[in-house]
Amino acid sequence: MTTATQSTGGGPSGGALDRPSGSSLAEVVDTILDKGLVIDAFVRVSLVGIELVTIDARVVVASVDTYLRFAEAVNRVDLAQSGGKGLPEFLEGAQETGAEKKVKGAAKGAIEAAKDTIRDWNDDDGGRRHQPDGGRWRDREA
Amino acid sequence: MSPRNKPKGEQQGWYVYGIVEHDVEVLPDTRGIGDPPAPVETVVSGDIAALVSRVAVDQPIGERGDLLAHEDLLDTVALDVPVLPLRFGAVMSSRDAVAQELLEPNHDLFADSLHELSDEVQYVVRARYVEEALIREILDEDPDTAELAEQLSGKSMESTRDAQIRLGEMIGVAAEAKRRADTDALIEAIGPLVAATNVRAPTHEQDAAHVAMLVDRDRDAEWEETLGDLARTWSGRATVRLLGPMAPYDFVTTTQTT
Repeated sequence: MTTATQSTGGGPSGGALDRPSGSSLAEVVDTILDKGLVIDAFVRVSLVGIELVTIDARVVVASVDTYLRFAEAVNRVDLAQSGGKGLPEFLEGAQETGAEKKVKGAAKGAIEAAKDTIRDWNDDDGGRRHQPDGGRWRDREA
Repeated sequence: MSPRNKPKGEQQGWYVYGIVEHDVEVLPDTRGIGDPPAPVETVVSGDIAALVSRVAVDQPIGERGDLLAHEDLLDTVALDVPVLPLRFGAVMSSRDAVAQELLEPNHDLFADSLHELSDEVQYVVRARYVEEALIREILDEDPDTAELAEQLSGKSMESTRDAQIRLGEMIGVAAEAKRRADTDALIEAIGPLVAATNVRAPTHEQDAAHVAMLVDRDRDAEWEETLGDLARTWSGRATVRLLGPMAPYDFVTTTQTT
């Protein structure tokens, strides 16, 4: 069973590729609501209308909201260190953090924390109703 | 229509997961969407079959369990046999309708597509920037952005909102350029080693790359090593997740019409 939990193991030997055993719910949604054969292209008559309750949490990557989030991200960075602490040093710090995590199962480890990718899904149960193409799913049986 | 095939009430439909070859057997305990999860069956027509299960049409679908069940079924099937995944949410009125209106009219197209995809599965690469590394990289590379960041440093978000938005936009534009460059680098490295790639739209403003790829199901692979090398190169700057193997969702959409 695919689950929303993710591997948070860290590879000590430079394994930078995270291979989770399952996708997060957000990743599942990206795939099965956006991709795959669209049955409307093949069937017109005997489609049955059914209400879809899914969460449309996709981020518009160029909006005032994202700009404000970027500005906040800048605020979180200590500008005084810019230039003083170069990228190599920063990399070193990041690798130390990664190496502190325990290896879990997979030979190729992970350095990504779980909270990041499922951040957008905290409102899992309060999701908006989402009907693609304004009523595609209506009953087409006469 | 046999009694078995006839839905018990008016409120029954048949949920369709995907298309497989006619000789695919579904294990008896295989379950799909719904609460409780419904048994998965096949509807066969000629050389192809649809994976289906009963669904109550007076209940909304699309809760977490439904989404995971749809993906889990298709991905599990894809481990062993070719499958054409349908987008989530396809429901038809009866098993006969699945055979007569979905399978029969599209028989050759589906059979050919299954044949073409017979040895392949999909993986998805998601790379996400490490926030601090991304911001520092952008500030180091663009003096104008760095200067504005300096000016706004320590000021409250509320009193400088317009300038903050301008700063955020500059960062966003720079991040977009980085995303394009890093996606190109990924495609350049992996593209020649896989059967096909599909660049997906970013789903997060700090996405570094989001690419689906079609690869040989059994062959152990150079692309995996190459991807590992790239992930190491990006270490500290971006995290790289490899999802899959999964059904070839990104590579069956060419016939989509609107």
